[in-house]
Amino acid sequence: MRKLRLLVLAVTLSVSLFLWATPEAVYADNATESELSEITAQWKTSAHALADVNCSSCHQDQGSKAFVAHPNNESCRTCHEAETDTFLLGKHGIRLLEGQSPLTPSKARLAMKPEAHSKQMNCNACHDVHSVDTYQASVDSCMTCHNDEHSLNYKNSKHSQLFLDEESLERPSNISVTCATCHLPRETSESGSKVLANHNNTYNLKPRDRMASEVCMNCHGMEYAFNSIFDNDLVKSNFARPPNIHLKSFDMIRIFQEKRSGK
Amino acid sequence: MASRSSKKRRIRDFFNIQIFIGGAVIFLLVWLIATMAMGTEQKTLFLPGVTSQGHFGFEANCSSCHEGFKKVSNENCSRCHEAELAEDKHGEKKFRDIRWAEDLEKLDALTCTTCHNEHVQMYGRGVHLQPDLCMACHQGIIEGDMTSHDGFTADGCWTAGCHNYHDHRSISTGFLYDGLDQPPMLPVQELPKIVVEAQLETAPNPDLKSEFLGGGS
Repeated sequence: MRKLRLLVLAVTLSVSLFLWATPEAVYADNATESELSEITAQWKTSAHALADVNCSSCHQDQGSKAFVAHPNNESCRTCHEAETDTFLLGKHGIRLLEGQSPLTPSKARLAMKPEAHSKQMNCNACHDVHSVDTYQASVDSCMTCHNDEHSLNYKNSKHSQLFLDEESLERPSNISVTCATCHLPRETSESGSKVLANHNNTYNLKPRDRMASEVCMNCHGMEYAFNSIFDNDLVKSNFARPPNIHLKSFDMIRIFQEKRSGK
Repeated sequence: MASRSSKKRRIRDFFNIQIFIGGAVIFLLVWLIATMAMGTEQKTLFLPGVTSQGHFGFEANCSSCHEGFKKVSNENCSRCHEAELAEDKHGEKKFRDIRWAEDLEKLDALTCTTCHNEHVQMYGRGVHLQPDLCMACHQGIIEGDMTSHDGFTADGCWTAGCHNYHDHRSISTGFLYDGLDQPPMLPVQELPKIVVEAQLETAPNPDLKSEFLGGGS
């Protein structure tokens, strides 16, 4: 009798444990006619359509010709290799690289919008893959989830104004400053032939001198850039004012310079 | 009355201490086995401490960094951190030079985990680092070898943002020297331009349809 009771208890606990640990369900597959025509219309005006990237380019296995309902980052990687590879190294993509479920904002340590907590981070999370609108991907997509002071203050910044002033172009130009400008910066390949948006969003966050030299100094002088990036309040305000700290390193360099030229 | 008290006794009997302990032991065993077997999301049970800012997102996946119970290898770190080490000023190349080779005896600088400790709470930057790690070789700098650095604290070299152990490109004396007195806004302000060239003049017709509606191919 006691053995039976023990067994009942053990089985109940085990079953509840496995239920608790079961991964999330997948979504339904079939689209409706109206959803499909909406998607087709989005695609028709996208850069993908004009680059001859058709439905089958992503929704069909190139070998077996089998239909693929939900193409994943491997599909994007066929053409966007460097972007996908760098994405997988940053915080947004690292879980996918490590064979885990996609990152969701609920797992973040930074403040995230509660309504976005279950959103899964993959290519499609920021780039609506049917419209591939890099305007949306460069600011609005970030703001769907990010809810910290620095992110929320972007819209009041001078950087944001530069971006808003040119909204008629087909993609953010090379003089506007979006979230992506600093956090997924454009880099020229070694041969100089290709410009890549580095999707490893973690790469230039720390040490901060990397952000200063690789991003800020595309537009700002060195001292202005360093005095800004090392001012925590200024970073929080999303650079709402000129910097008012003065790093001692520059004084040391000046003294060094004077000594050297004095000899 | 009698039946009610015997029922009570039966309930009390069901939850007696032996059953409780037995149940708890089985639960722990099942939990442990399930955690080992499931392999992905639930392994946080085994974490010995707080995971660093850079790694906590996949902290439950032990095998990302650990190969069994072996020490974490450099190869494992460079699976992800090649870009950060592209210009490693304290890399192998430096210590192959006879001038610096002996310093390796003071500190095994060629092994990532000598300085980077995971799962311990220290000064946070990526994987935790000891703030005064430079002192193993460079203590002289703050003790008279370099007058400009006299009296500087042992833990300030990199925590203050002045030095970068691996990559000197944007913090070296030469770099800072060249950038002095630049205006807040540079004369030309621009980033590399991304150009996408269209291959077609108008969009083609979609080449799949029924598949999306559940019709199969």
